[in-house]
Amino acid sequence: MNDFDLVRKNLFRRKLRAILMIVSILIAFMIFGVLAGFYRAFTAGEDRAAADRMITVNKINFTQPMPIAYFNRVKSVDGVRQVTHANWFGGYYQDPKNFLVSLAIEPATYFDVYRSELDVPSEQLQAFIRDRSSALVGEKLAQKWGWKIGDRIPIASSIFSQKSGGHTWDFTIVGIVKGKVEYVDTNFLLFQYAYFDETRSFGKDTIGWMILQTTAPENNDRVAKAIDAMFANSTAETSTDTEKAFGKAFAAQFGNIALIVVLVVGAAFVTILMIVGNTMALSIRERTREIGVLKTLGFSGPRILAMVLGESMLLALLGGIPGLAIAALIAIALRNSLASIAPAFSVSPTIALQGVGLMVALGLITGIIPALNAMRLQIATALGRG
Amino acid sequence: MRSLWLQVAAVTAINLKSIAQRRWLSLSTVIAIALVVVVLLAFLAMANGFQRTIAGSGADDIAIVLRAGSQAEINSTVSRDQVRLIEDGPGIARGSDGKPLISPELYLVVDGLKRSTHTKANLPLRGIGEQGGALRKGVTIIAGRMFSRGSNEVVVGKALLREFEGFEIGSTVAFGATRWNVVGVFDSGGNVFESEIWADLNVVQSLFNRNNIVQTVRARLTGPAALSELKNYSDNDPRLKLDVKSEAAYFAEQASQTSDLIQKLGWPLAIAMALGAIAGALNTMYSSVAARATEIATLRAIGFGGFPAFVGTLAESLLLAAIGGLLGAAATYFIFDGVTASTLGGNFTQVVFDFKLSPWLIAEGVALALVVGLIGGLFPALRAARLPIVEGLYAH
Repeated sequence: MNDFDLVRKNLFRRKLRAILMIVSILIAFMIFGVLAGFYRAFTAGEDRAAADRMITVNKINFTQPMPIAYFNRVKSVDGVRQVTHANWFGGYYQDPKNFLVSLAIEPATYFDVYRSELDVPSEQLQAFIRDRSSALVGEKLAQKWGWKIGDRIPIASSIFSQKSGGHTWDFTIVGIVKGKVEYVDTNFLLFQYAYFDETRSFGKDTIGWMILQTTAPENNDRVAKAIDAMFANSTAETSTDTEKAFGKAFAAQFGNIALIVVLVVGAAFVTILMIVGNTMALSIRERTREIGVLKTLGFSGPRILAMVLGESMLLALLGGIPGLAIAALIAIALRNSLASIAPAFSVSPTIALQGVGLMVALGLITGIIPALNAMRLQIATALGRG
Repeated sequence: MRSLWLQVAAVTAINLKSIAQRRWLSLSTVIAIALVVVVLLAFLAMANGFQRTIAGSGADDIAIVLRAGSQAEINSTVSRDQVRLIEDGPGIARGSDGKPLISPELYLVVDGLKRSTHTKANLPLRGIGEQGGALRKGVTIIAGRMFSRGSNEVVVGKALLREFEGFEIGSTVAFGATRWNVVGVFDSGGNVFESEIWADLNVVQSLFNRNNIVQTVRARLTGPAALSELKNYSDNDPRLKLDVKSEAAYFAEQASQTSDLIQKLGWPLAIAMALGAIAGALNTMYSSVAARATEIATLRAIGFGGFPAFVGTLAESLLLAAIGGLLGAAATYFIFDGVTASTLGGNFTQVVFDFKLSPWLIAEGVALALVVGLIGGLFPALRAARLPIVEGLYAH
């Protein structure tokens, strides 16, 4: 019998107690995994934003439009490699509940700016540019509704109306857009700005925002200043910021999600820590006499310290690892229903590593005091007690 | 029968008095349960505060007219001609001068800077008609004065002033190239309007290039029953085809989505944590039974039944849970009640609201705690009741 067997046998001496503690730890790490995964997906935009991409919006607020004329002027700013623009359409399919991300875009440049994320076959892109009333749909959206290339679909807008009076535009699907990287959410529909602009009843010759790519991230600041200065004191002043800063500011608007996550995980952890710590202390106290016997047999203090710490560590891992595994399963189950708020909701390797780190910390914190007490225990006191 | 209850009372008293001997273990259970209750109540108080702020904004005798199919004000458009048709519609109350009591309004999103985080946030700028203030119940100017017609002056809601920077009376705010002077602060009884900036409709229209277009029309009805008249009138005129709702119904719709989401997040979290706390409570109570094994066996040996031992253990568990529940509710009250928060509402703009506990929510929290105590005490109590006497006597 080696030390590990002893540790294992000690832990499961009172089976029910051990199982209860494992369950509490499992729940704590399940909560940790799910919340951390959700938080990561929620703030994903900031981490993944390309360093050389910037967004120009109306200074009043990003929902206010700006003149289309700005597009060509921004193109000529020194340090800008490529620029494209987009307009929020507020689209839905059949029922307002079937909301879909739909944008009127500049077809020739949009896929160049997003070339590292979006993948569309070149013949489909050519067809899109040729046919004014065509649309490209994201792979996930096409799957959701069973749309195929060649289908003609009506998309209604909750914001815009047609000159003819209706709120619905018909589009022919000419291509399916795939994501090049795992986190891209392909739940969208893209159509031509030119067609949109000539058919809508108001807001003519304005665009929603511009996405520009600088020649290098070092030029970002200079480019942003040059653009904003160009439109200063005009009726539509602009505000240019990196994609990362823009995404961060937007996410912050939902309220302090991070604080809530920290609060809840913190509360769950303190709870578990107390329960496990107390129970560990209790079970070591119960074994005082045994520890005395071990010492009499020649077990050194540090060896006993290691065994007690090993017991609390084993407990933390036995509860924590299945807890993280369950969290990963929950993330997979919820992934589709949360796709619109938190795409790519998953328990990533980083989160799993953080989790294991927390398990080790939990094992150390709950075990250290009983372990130190056990190490320092005098044989005479131990055998005399109880 | 009487003797049985005397036995129960005696054993329960012994149990409760002996809690002090297990104070650390008992305290950890109490705190664990309290934390579960804090998390649950914090979420519920947030949902409740949000719901009250929004749902409290609408009146039954005010109609709100939006473009058909638009879910929120921000998505709606109503033309100048349609506004004129509504003015002449049935069921609309008129002032002493015979003019209809309506307010065409334009709702725009502008940027503001949050005091707490210094990040940009979407704020609503509302251009209101002459009757705009009067059509909302309980609106009073608490500092400064109302904006004057035709000038670029604004008044701001109390909550907005509290949460966002730069809206003090006398300051100038810039939205794009135009500057606006803040001349007053209004109170509307804690509802959603207090998160808004108000200005004169015509000025907003011209400075934001929205001439001849508004987004909504608010109208005072002759009574709540007049709503259906106005609805029919709109449905039957092909030039209108607008959505007519009572303001109360409109805001109730807006509030339900977000507060549902918060509750759907809060309950599963609280239940998962409660399972952890049950494990803790079970641990405490099993230890309690183990510690008192000799005592229980002695009582049984001198003629006490198993039932008193069962009740005594369960009572101990429930008492710990109740203390934990009340402690959690009190902590939530002191930490969260009245805390101001803001989030994006249905109109894509910030809604400022307060966390609000209610007696009913506290009851829900304490009930959850008692459920934890009941389950956590039940199995140890059964063990106490069934403990073989001889084994118990030799336990130590």
